[in-house]
Order: sequence, then structure tokens, then C-alpha cells
Amino acid sequence: MKRAVKGREVRAAAAAPKQPAVSVENISKHYRRWGKSRAFGTLKSAFLGRGLASSLTPSEVVAALSNVSFRVERGETFGVIGANGCGKSTLLKLVAGILKPTSGSLHVNGKVSALIELGAGFHPEISGRENVVINGVMLGLTRRQIEEKLPQIIAFSGLADFIDQPVKTYSSGMYVRLGFAVAVHLDPDILVIDEVLAVGDEAFSHRCLDTIREFAARGKTIFFVTHSLALVEELCDRVLYLEEGKVKGLGDPREMLAAYRLDVSGKEGARLAAEHTLDQDRLRSEPVEALPAIETAVASRVPEVSSDAGSESAGEHAPASSQPPSEESSAEVPPPVEVPRARRWGDRSAVITACRLLDASNAERYAFRSGDEIVVEIKATPNRPLEDVVVGIGLFTIEDVCVHGTNSDLDGFSEGVFDAPATIRITMPRCDLAAGTYLLDVAVHAKRGTPYDYWRGACRFRIDSPTQDVGLYRPERRWQVEGGLTWKPS
Amino acid sequence: MLTSLQDLYRHRALVGVLTTRELKARYRGSVLGFFWSLLNPLLMLGVYTLVFQYVMPNRSASMRPYALFLFTGLLPWNWLAASLTDASGALPTHGSLLRKILFPAEVLPLVAVLAQGVHFLLGLPILLAGLVLAQFGFFEGTVTFGLPLLQVPLLLVIEGLFLLGLGFFLSALTVHFRDVRDLLTTAIPLWFFATPILYSLKDLKPGRITGILKLNPVAPLFAGWHDALFFGRWISPAHWGLMTLIAVVTFVVGFAFFDRLRDSFAEAV
Repeated sequence: MKRAVKGREVRAAAAAPKQPAVSVENISKHYRRWGKSRAFGTLKSAFLGRGLASSLTPSEVVAALSNVSFRVERGETFGVIGANGCGKSTLLKLVAGILKPTSGSLHVNGKVSALIELGAGFHPEISGRENVVINGVMLGLTRRQIEEKLPQIIAFSGLADFIDQPVKTYSSGMYVRLGFAVAVHLDPDILVIDEVLAVGDEAFSHRCLDTIREFAARGKTIFFVTHSLALVEELCDRVLYLEEGKVKGLGDPREMLAAYRLDVSGKEGARLAAEHTLDQDRLRSEPVEALPAIETAVASRVPEVSSDAGSESAGEHAPASSQPPSEESSAEVPPPVEVPRARRWGDRSAVITACRLLDASNAERYAFRSGDEIVVEIKATPNRPLEDVVVGIGLFTIEDVCVHGTNSDLDGFSEGVFDAPATIRITMPRCDLAAGTYLLDVAVHAKRGTPYDYWRGACRFRIDSPTQDVGLYRPERRWQVEGGLTWKPS
Repeated sequence: MLTSLQDLYRHRALVGVLTTRELKARYRGSVLGFFWSLLNPLLMLGVYTLVFQYVMPNRSASMRPYALFLFTGLLPWNWLAASLTDASGALPTHGSLLRKILFPAEVLPLVAVLAQGVHFLLGLPILLAGLVLAQFGFFEGTVTFGLPLLQVPLLLVIEGLFLLGLGFFLSALTVHFRDVRDLLTTAIPLWFFATPILYSLKDLKPGRITGILKLNPVAPLFAGWHDALFFGRWISPAHWGLMTLIAVVTFVVGFAFFDRLRDSFAEAV
């Protein structure tokens, strides 16, 4: 294997104009699987003069990156996004020259400063000042250069009072601040940043961001890996979207972020659907008999609806009420227990056999966009003929805040006569919910209030929204401005 | 390999600050600080003098005063043992540097050998003081003190080169086999007894054991230290040639091995 990147030489390379700052062609990086024969393999190939990884069979390696190509132009702020383990950090270390690619070519033009781990190499026993000097030399400055910059670095870190104390006395935030101060004063042509801005206090992280913006404004190249999508959207000119070591997309930040968000919510939907199936299976195999308090289960989340059926106050007592079992309704019953999530109770006169969510095209789904149509489908079977059935649903946030609750009674239907299995569909044409994870309670109960089957957390679903607005409700809206207020072009 | 050596030279500033850091950090927090580097060999010499002059004197006449004889071998041996232990652990100890920043790995074993070399240098004045005292009959027996001491710097270079070579080799090997460090803890004391420090090879009866002991790659070097410091003899050109050859070959092989495995460090360390 030819050494495509020789770190220190790259630094020395003259910054010729028109060359891209980073050009990556068809680069792959394979890691060796951890195993007993691993070390011997490396030695063998070292002695035999072969490439250190070229002689491995596919089963012995893990491909962290496969055939990735892109160019980062001079002065560009380039972001890399993707799920954990998609190869972001590997790519970053390749660009920084810490790792060598298994195949493909990588050219970096200009001096690189990599903010991968701030303060890497600080020695705990010696003072902050000495560590700054050593760190600077480690990162490629001469002793004189670093000593010239020392006052600036100390001022930037805001640690002037502690700079002569041994670094082991620093808090982790101070440690990182000092590390960041050194890294940004290296005056690199290319700044490589890996998720390091999440540390330090609010004021310092603002300063970090300002520094990065200033770098970008001075026409420096920034290569940026982060999970903070808002930061990517704000800072980046172009974004590379990686998935499982392959390029999923490359281009406009908004487009890439939208694609990424969509994929993430799709995956979450799939996960929720899988969990839903598991839950349903479990609850089906766990017969309702096994659940506690059959006759006394009046002490439930479904207080008596019949007492003042149809009145306004009944609205608060829809099956959706999240109050724990109330004491007065169960005088001789043992003290009420907190009802755990995803539990069921009731006297089994009727049983809910299935509950699922459907989208507008009747496909089962557990991830929706805000404003989508959601259909709740409930299948229930009576164990004896019933003549006073009410069907209810309740919508909760994951923090157990009630978002909405209703039942057939409140919605204006009389008691149901229930004598054979039935499927009930409740269509909500526009669910203008804010982004988040929600839980659905479903219940079949007597109009008087006796629960036949109350299923808490029967479905769990996710809502995604194109904007990051606050609250539970996300109304459709339009903005209009008249007069002397104009928006800057974004 | 030549370019790698040039790289190594280019990083001399880094080597400098790291060696200084190593030395500073070592005594940070201790009251006597750097004095320990002087004090340790001084105490060592004191104890040996006490033991071999008063507690168990009868030593062969050629090695008298035995405390000084022992000391001339022990000082360079301590450099060897400490350097190799430090160098073999150098890469794993500084793993975060190799994984997180672009860092020239070859600097680390070099710093280990150099920092221990400084301790050795600080021990030398104590030895010289002992030799001077011997002139005034402080010890039983006589020591020649004279021009052959000028051979010391050259011996230093030769031992340094040898230690670097072995240090590079061991440090690269330790990245892939952590066993090396455990092996060294056992191997170094064993090697100590196989090296002419407690004894002189010339005094041993020729036999199979002596033949084997002569194969020890550092045997000529330690005979050289004894010659220059204790016996006050000029080392023969053939002896110089042998020591230089061993050191150069060790360095070339060790560094080539290190250079070959270099790309695996950031991943495997």
C-alpha cells in the first residue's frame, strides 16, 4: 500500500490556488475484526512486506467506509451527517491524516488542525501553561510560534488565573477550553471538527461557534462532523450524508437534512411498529385474567362517565384521563397502585383483541408527519352480550400529558349494543401534533363507567414535523407582514 | 526508512519538549525534585560500599573496590532496564495521542530512552566523585583515574543507539502483543545476571556457560563501561567495532520494524 497521505508533508504542501482543499476519490477504510489471529496477521504481513490489510479475507474485516468520493473546495464549510457508526469519524480521521485509507486516494492541501479530542496529550502533573506549549509543538508549531501566541491562547481560554496550576486540578470544562484555545490558534487552513462543541459552558460554546463562523468568514475550510442538525443547517455550505459507510447524498444542507430526518423517522417508525407487534403479542399471550382487580377495577383511568353524561365536565373524565385510580371510588379496595404503562384492566365482559394505527391509504404505520391523517383501528370481542358499550381513546405524550381524549358517548353516540366481534375505526383527518412520541390508550367500558377492557399505551407512535416548534399542537399557519418589517433573505 | 529518519529529526523540538515534560512531571510534587536523580545513585553507591566493603568483603582482587565496580555496571544497566520498560509501554500509554491527533509515534520511544538517559547522566557525577575518592584511599583497592574516561561519551552514543533500536522494536510489538510488557518484567532481571555487571567475563573459567554469556549482545558494551570507568583501560579498536556493529544493526532492524508497522498503530493501540 502506498502511503497516500503523509500527514506532516501534507501540512507543508504549498496552498496552491484552485486546488480543492480536500479531494477524496473512491476511498475505502476497512478495520480488522478483533480476534486472536489478528495480531499475528499484522506481523506476518509486516514481515512479508505486504500491505498491512490487503491480505485479509472479507470475513476478517469490517468496512467502515466504502468507495466514498467527494471534494471540499477551499473556503467551504463542509458537514458530514449520518447515524452513529456510519463512518463519519473514520472519514474525519482519514482527512486529518490519523488513519490511512485501505484503498483509494486522499489529498489534503493545506495545514490541518483536527479538533477530535480537545486537550489530547495534556499531562496532568504539569501546569496549563507548559501543557499549552507542549500541545502546540505536538500540533506542529515551533516553540517560538507557540510562545508568541501564548498570551492570546490564555486570554481566549479565560483561564488566566489557573494557567500555572497543574492540569489535573482543572475541571473537565476547563480542560476542554484550554484544548480548544490551542487548537484554534494553530491558524490552520483546514479545521476538522468532530462533535467537540457540546462541551464547556454556554458562554464558551458560543465563543466556539463564533470562532468557527469567523474561520468560515476568513475563507478557511471547515470539515465538520456533528449530530447537531441545527448547527449543520446554520453553518454548512454543503453536506455529505453517509449511511453505513456509503455516500447516501451530497449537496444542499436543507435537502440532505430533510433526507436524513425522513430516514430517521422512517427507521423509528419501523422500530415502533416492531415494538408494537411485540407488545400486542405479549399482551395477547398474557390473558386479561392475569390482570389485577377485576370487579374493583372501577378504580381506573375511566371514571364514571354516566353520572353526568354529555355534560361539559364529563369531557375531563374521558377515558383519556391520566389520573391514577381514585380512592373514593374504591372504599374497600387496597390502596391504589400507580398504573404502569402498557397495562390493561377491566372485567373482561368485552376484550380488545387488536389495536393499530393506519395512514390515509390504510397502511399500518407508527410514524407520521404532523398534519397527517391517522386512523385508530380497534378490534374488540364481547364475552357476553352487552347493551351499554362506550368505546374511548386517549392520546398522551411520552411524559403522560393528556393531549386529547374522547369516546363514543362524548362524540354523540348512544350506548352500543355489542354481541359479536367488531372493528371500530376512528379517523382523524388532520393530526396537527407537534413533533414527538405519543401513546394511545384505548378502552371499551360501560356507560356507567365499569371498564370492560382498558388498555393503557396500546399504541406508541411518532410525529415528525418540518419545523422545530414548541408545544404539543402544531397548527397550520400563514405569516403576513404589513408595514416596516421585512425579513432578511436567508 | 531514510525519510522516516528525516521525519524523526524534524520532530526534534517535539522530542525536546516531551523529554523535558517527562522529567518535570516525574518529580512534580516531590520536595527534593530533581535532586532525587542525584540522590538515588548516591544512596545506591553508599549502600553497596557499606555491603561490599564491610559486610561481605572477600571479592576477587581485580574487582576491588567492588562497590565501584558494581556501580560502573549498574548505572548503564539501569538506563537500559528503565528505557526498555518505558519504551515498550510508550505507545499504549499515549494511545489517545495516536488515535486522536496527528502525532509522530516514533517520538514516543525516543523520549522514553532520552528521559532515562538524562537520569543516567545525572548519576555519572556521583560515579566520578566515587572514582576521585578512591584516589584518596576512601575505598579498599585502587582505581585508575585518567584519560580513558574520555571514552564515556562514545559509549553513551553506542548504548543510546542500541536502546533506541530495541525500544522501537519493543514499542511496536507491544501495540499488537501486550504480553511484551509482562515478558520484560521477567526477562530483564534474567538478562541482568547474564550480563557482566556483577562479574567480569575475563574472570570466568572458559566453559559452555561462559560461551553462552559471550553471545549476550550487550556483554561487549558492559565490558566497555568497565574498561573505561573502572579499569581505566583503552578499549581496543576491535572491541569498538563489535559494539558499534551490534548497536547499528539493532537500531536499523528495530526502526525498520517500527516503520513497517507504523500505519497499524492508530487502529490497534
